[in-house]
Order: sequence, then structure tokens, then C-alpha cells
Amino acid sequence: MPAFQILKEKLPDGIVILTIRGFLDAHTFEELEKTIDDLFESGVYKLTVDLSGLDYISSAGAGVFIGAIGRAQENDGNIILMKPSANVKEVFDLLGLSHIFTFKDSREESVKALR
Amino acid sequence: MGHTVRDRLVVTNDTKYLIVVRDFVGRMIRQSRVTREEENKIILAVDEAVTNIIEHGYEPGVEGLIELEVEADEAQFKVVIRDSGRVFNPESVPNLDMGKHVRAGRRKGLGIFLMRQIMDEVRYRFKDGVKNELTLVKYSK
Repeated sequence: MPAFQILKEKLPDGIVILTIRGFLDAHTFEELEKTIDDLFESGVYKLTVDLSGLDYISSAGAGVFIGAIGRAQENDGNIILMKPSANVKEVFDLLGLSHIFTFKDSREESVKALR
Repeated sequence: MGHTVRDRLVVTNDTKYLIVVRDFVGRMIRQSRVTREEENKIILAVDEAVTNIIEHGYEPGVEGLIELEVEADEAQFKVVIRDSGRVFNPESVPNLDMGKHVRAGRRKGLGIFLMRQIMDEVRYRFKDGVKNELTLVKYSK
């Protein structure tokens, strides 16, 4: 299994769900950064990121979301984080980011939050 | 006499070895008194320290070594990280204001913040012959 995987799914209303799996660290973050940058370039600013398959995140990984959320919100979008494991959520808590990002438990709730 | 576990790992300054570093620290933690809930956090703190050395310690294209030495006993879990890269004292970095950080979209500088949040001691010293030596300590509860 690769160390890191991104799956992209387009939904109606200009919403994209990214499902990320594996380890998001200083070795893999650039792949996610590029995917999000490409989406922004194509005018997609409403993103849900499914974190349920993410085994590990370091600050390099969390930094991708920090770098992107401002730009998404400036363009009437947002980044909703979905179903992080306890270990992954803990990193957002430690960084004091849990009140800055919106976390949802299901795809329906995430999509609703973006509409 | 208490039970002491000790081991060392040497990697080069390439982010592809972060996974090796995390596996090593995880293995040492499981032989120690560190609780399950502390495991992920200590692995993260060490990952952040090694990531900083890989990203800032050496000139691009220059290969360097990073040595990790773990010693765990009844009282504490200690990781000493040594490298010969650019002199960098994390103690000189002020604590960050996360609100400002996010508003500015800045993504760097989070590693030292996390190390301080997680570990009970984060000590740096400049050592002749080695250069940088960073010691991270978590006390046993």
C-alpha cells in the first residue's frame, strides 16, 4: 500500500470531496498541497476532506489546511474536515486549530455545511 | 534496579525516512512505561524535531546524518537527537500566536510549538564534534 493516497470526487454545486489515506507528513504533504492548489485554480473552493483513512498527521500536513482555509473562505468556500481518527484530531487540538476548522461526522453533514 | 531500554537509529536527512523514525520511536515506546495515549504524541514530537533538521539543517542536496538515541526507564522517556547541520537553537524561537498564524496562512513553525506542548523538557545544546544536540524528555506518570 502506498504511504499516502488521495481520491477526488466531484459533487454537484461545485463541491469536491477529497479522501486521504495513509500518512500525511513532511514527505507527503506536497501532493495534497498541489491537489488543493489545482482545485483552487479551477475555481473549486468548497472542499470536504475525509480523514477517516488517515493514520497519521504531523504539522507539515496540518499546515496544508492552515495555508488553504483562508483562501477558500475568501472565495465563498470552506474546508470541512470529516471523521478524523482520535490520533489525527488530537494533533488539530494540540495546535489549537479545532475551533478554526469545522469537523463533521458524515458526508451529508459536510456537504450541508458547504451549501 | 529499574528496567532501562536503550537503542539508537541513524538516518540521512531525507523525509522518506520519517516513517522509519516513527516506527523506531513507536517500538521503543511499546517497551517502555509510556501510556498508549502518550504514544502518538511522543512519536509526533520526534517527527517534528527530525523534520526540522531535514528541512533546515542542511543545504539542499547535501547529505547529512541524524542520530536518535532513546533511553527509557521508570522515570522518563528520553530521546536525544544529534546532527551536524546548521546551528539551530529551537529555544530561540518564540511561542507562536496560532490565530495570527492561520490568518496569515503561514504553515511553518508549528513543529517547535508541538514539541513544547507535548514534551516535559525540550533542551538544546551545541556540542563540539556533533554540533546540534536536542533532548526531548517525557516524564512517566
